[in-house]
Amino acid sequence: MIFVCKNCGGNVVYSPEKHSMFCPYCDSVKSDERRDLSGGEISVCPNCGGEIPVEEHTSATQCPYCDNYMIFNERVEGAYAPKKIIPFQMGKEACKNSLREKFKKFTFAPTDFLSEARLDSMQGHYVPFWFYSYDTSCRYEGEGTKVRSWRSGNMQYTETSYYRVYRDMDIDFQNIPVDASVQMPDDVMDLIAPFHYGQMESFKPEFMSGFYGEKYNMTSDIVEFRAKNHMQEDAHKLLKDSISGYATVSPGRREVHVKSSEAEYGLIPLWKYNYQYNGKAYPFYVNGQTGKIVGIPPISKKKVWGYTGTLWGCLTIIMILLQLISVWML
Amino acid sequence: MSDDIKKEIRKQYFHYFRFWFIGIGILLVITAIAGVKHVIEINVPRPNLSAPTERVYDYADVLTDVEEESLRKRIAEVERRLRIDIVLVTFNQSVEGEEARRQYGYRSADWEQNMMDYADDFWDENQYGYNKGFEGDGCILVHNWFEGQNGEHLSTSGRVEDRFSYNDIDTVLYAVDDYYDTDPYRAYMAYVDTVASIMGRERGESGTFSLGAVFVVPIVAALVYALFNLKQKPAKDTTTASTYVEGGKPVMKGRADEFIRKNVVSRKIETSSSGGGGSRSSGGGGHHISSSGASHGGGSHRH
Repeated sequence: MIFVCKNCGGNVVYSPEKHSMFCPYCDSVKSDERRDLSGGEISVCPNCGGEIPVEEHTSATQCPYCDNYMIFNERVEGAYAPKKIIPFQMGKEACKNSLREKFKKFTFAPTDFLSEARLDSMQGHYVPFWFYSYDTSCRYEGEGTKVRSWRSGNMQYTETSYYRVYRDMDIDFQNIPVDASVQMPDDVMDLIAPFHYGQMESFKPEFMSGFYGEKYNMTSDIVEFRAKNHMQEDAHKLLKDSISGYATVSPGRREVHVKSSEAEYGLIPLWKYNYQYNGKAYPFYVNGQTGKIVGIPPISKKKVWGYTGTLWGCLTIIMILLQLISVWML
Repeated sequence: MSDDIKKEIRKQYFHYFRFWFIGIGILLVITAIAGVKHVIEINVPRPNLSAPTERVYDYADVLTDVEEESLRKRIAEVERRLRIDIVLVTFNQSVEGEEARRQYGYRSADWEQNMMDYADDFWDENQYGYNKGFEGDGCILVHNWFEGQNGEHLSTSGRVEDRFSYNDIDTVLYAVDDYYDTDPYRAYMAYVDTVASIMGRERGESGTFSLGAVFVVPIVAALVYALFNLKQKPAKDTTTASTYVEGGKPVMKGRADEFIRKNVVSRKIETSSSGGGGSRSSGGGGHHISSSGASHGGGSHRH
């Protein structure tokens, strides 16, 4: 499908700034009209006939020739229909500014790292995620100690009291996110969280116009172990946090019982900046909702030597001049 | 590398170090002014022209003519640089006891008092002092070679008096003590050099920083700067245990904290104690007023 402007026929995209469909050609808002693509190869642009790079899991992309954004119906419908989506809240400009702000003090980054030309290559992606919800019952039973110490004369006394500690709590975990994309690194996707689910909406393909997208690459049962690990860790920590006032607490017996569970498929917004330096890729990921950035910039060795050497030279000159001034002026 | 990138590299570099370069530029100007001021100052004639030009009075005749001349030359050089008078007097005369008091008109029979008076009077009567003839800047060392009364007294005046602490006075006298009996010339040269060294520090001749600091500090600072800027901060996990919990917290169904038992252990406490000390290192060492009413500092060593 493709969204065209009823006023000018241009390609209408979703604007994060306006939180609405927007025609960048005639500046119209909500002038979109959906046009479903009829048959044919999905790797051929229905607008200009150009060849589009479509990979196995691509669900939305941009034609490199006519710049129109298109969404592939069969990859966002039926078994691949996302139930929910967090629409982009940050536009490209806000994202660029966010990157500039974060890395402006990183002196040794290559000169063009934050250049307009490089940052402009940033792309917005909708990443497939599974959201797991677990209704659990969690218990802990173990032994805690409290220590009291006092002094009498030249004697020091230490009293240790032992307690039976018991906790029983219900924890309702909602929407633990686990990415369902093979391309996206798992550790980065874990770090890009959390998301504000208050802005989560029911899926509408309009949100994808103007961005790249993927359908899930892995089914829910393949990646669920990550959500379960997360849930177990959090449950144990919450049990531990509920126990206070003890000097030590034994590992004891801990149980996390899942009463019911549910998995839902959805899309998460992400800006990706792929910076190339000395033949190596340095990818940066920006949460398209919160602006959280994950990625480490490369280091320019020339800058390290040049800047450190200059600083050393400046300090040496300053100290020599101060030395001369102190000798001659006093 | 394109010209645009090269231009951007230069722009970023100069923008980054702009305050450093401006600071160095300002310091260069100040250094140039200081240099001119210094050249002018060292060429200004001494203000006090009433004092004699002689600085070495070897009444005890312990120095050769060549040694005396060498000392005069060294003193002249230090005087020009530090703008203080440095006088040396050797003599061979009793300054202790009733007989000496009657014969030479001392105000006491005490060796130390009379050595001090001798030095102060010599200084005051000759109107020594680089800047003025009364309480002017400088010092005098008088060395008595009289048998059984061998010893020296250092009298300070003006800026030298303000600068010299008891420790500084002792430092000068010990420098003389080290060689007086084997090589008087070397002992008096040590007197001049030690005074020059202490007053040179006052004038900042050794500078605000030591030579080592001038080379070491920038290296250490540059290394710290490089390490600090090389440090990369990876993104942190900003989720908490309750991020995905409905309502932000669990629902507690049951809890118990039941006392089971207790035990008590005891140990004997060991105790200990400690103490401290002091120092004397500020200026104005040996401050007193001479018979002519002038302020002096100083001290004596009797062998």
